[in-house]
Amino acid sequence: MKGAVIQAKAGIADGILNFLKEALDKGFFDALLLPVRVPAGDSFSYILMRDTSLLDGAFPLPPVMPVQGARALSSLTRYGKGTNRIAVLMRPCEIRAAIELHKLDQVDLENIFLLSVDCPGVLPLGDYIKDPRKGDALYEKVLQEWIIRSPRWACDICDKFSMPHSDAHFGILGAPESSLFVIPGTTKGKDFLESLDIEYHTSVKSWETKVQELTEEISKKREQTLQALSRDTRGPERLLGIFSKCINCHNCMRVCPICYCRQCYFDSDALKLTPDNYLMRAQKKGALRFMPDTLLFQLGRMSHMGLSCVSCGTCEDACPMAIPVSRIFTLVADSMQEVFDYVAGRNPQDPLPQIVYKEEELKEVEKAYIETYNK
Amino acid sequence: MKEFEPKIVYFLCDWCGTGGCETASAHHLYYPENVLISRVHCTGSLSAVHILRSLIEGADGVVISGCHPGDCHFETGNYRARRRVAVVKSILETLELGPERVWFRYVAHGEGRRFVDTAAEFNDHLKKLGPNPLKLRRDT
Repeated sequence: MKGAVIQAKAGIADGILNFLKEALDKGFFDALLLPVRVPAGDSFSYILMRDTSLLDGAFPLPPVMPVQGARALSSLTRYGKGTNRIAVLMRPCEIRAAIELHKLDQVDLENIFLLSVDCPGVLPLGDYIKDPRKGDALYEKVLQEWIIRSPRWACDICDKFSMPHSDAHFGILGAPESSLFVIPGTTKGKDFLESLDIEYHTSVKSWETKVQELTEEISKKREQTLQALSRDTRGPERLLGIFSKCINCHNCMRVCPICYCRQCYFDSDALKLTPDNYLMRAQKKGALRFMPDTLLFQLGRMSHMGLSCVSCGTCEDACPMAIPVSRIFTLVADSMQEVFDYVAGRNPQDPLPQIVYKEEELKEVEKAYIETYNK
Repeated sequence: MKEFEPKIVYFLCDWCGTGGCETASAHHLYYPENVLISRVHCTGSLSAVHILRSLIEGADGVVISGCHPGDCHFETGNYRARRRVAVVKSILETLELGPERVWFRYVAHGEGRRFVDTAAEFNDHLKKLGPNPLKLRRDT
């Protein structure tokens, strides 16, 4: 793999922002979509900007992920591509979600330039907003020492923290002192570097080795963690014990980048029934919890978006009851994607498993009829 | 003690599955009375949520029958249904909620015998498994 080396004397963020500023000045992009600290200073949001002076307040790697970038991008390109070229800087999980949304026709990537960056993880949103200053200090340390061990569960076991399928990737790991790698991932990315007169044939071997080492280490950890988690969630008793706290606010669905339906089935009238229906169900079960259909919502949502789940953990950040939603969804999504040998967001060319089929497959799902039963 | 009688939801597609059921009746073949037949336009139109909802709200098992591969009235519905059933089974398997309570078997229009056999076999299978723990939970 080849890439370019750019200067980052005053830190990683500064290096990336200067680079983007130059690209914007040279007119390769018309606008940028970047995370910027909100004026009150206690959170971050994606800002669409043309004015380079606004770049000073931008954070290529903010300490939290309040809005999943793919969600921001899908609201930007809801009605298809615009005439402007927009560069978006996102974390790898956001890029992967954007690719899934692109397959689902919810994001138009044609005039969008995807930029990704090595990600050390983010802090849990709830912890950060309680004390943003403390969070900032902690995250500064995370960035300096490059401890991938973020306290957030989804990030701690994220083994896809680098080089997603983006147009260009900023490599931080293994880069020489006070500099960064820019690695083009597509022809669009190569054109971009060429138009900036940047030579991109330097070897990025040190970055590749570091990423590979870390990926292997985290993959092992992910497997172990999921195995342990699976022991704690098996069976109706344990599972309902976890979901019993749910207040049916459906926040997890609203913040999920993959849940794009404008009318969620679980918010629809299909699940709003007459008192007699509820009474009948209560009679059958002995009693009925209100709000009903909590488990159906969770399992149903899994069946709807599990194949595209990128394990970003936004659902868990948004849960007011601190239910480990993303853990259970990650556990199920991983095994579901394994059935179809599919990895969400890996490649825009991989078709969604729900829209294609093979004639010879999944024989284990079919119940074989061997002989005449009860003859 | 009264023997446990499972409640079975049997989803049949409008074309082959229902046809198999009709053939069975024409030949006076019998299937267990605790099987509730539910017609769907095509097994490919059956949402995973219908299967999950049946299991949560009172069924002990769900069985889905549609056209044989290559025979689907809409050409690809049964292949899609197979993928969808795989998704449901993988959820139920990972969370140990009883993936063996969902069956998927092709039944052609003329296969009345196969239809009643499937119903009887699934009935016996569920009797061995016992009641579905999910349907008895009031905190769902």
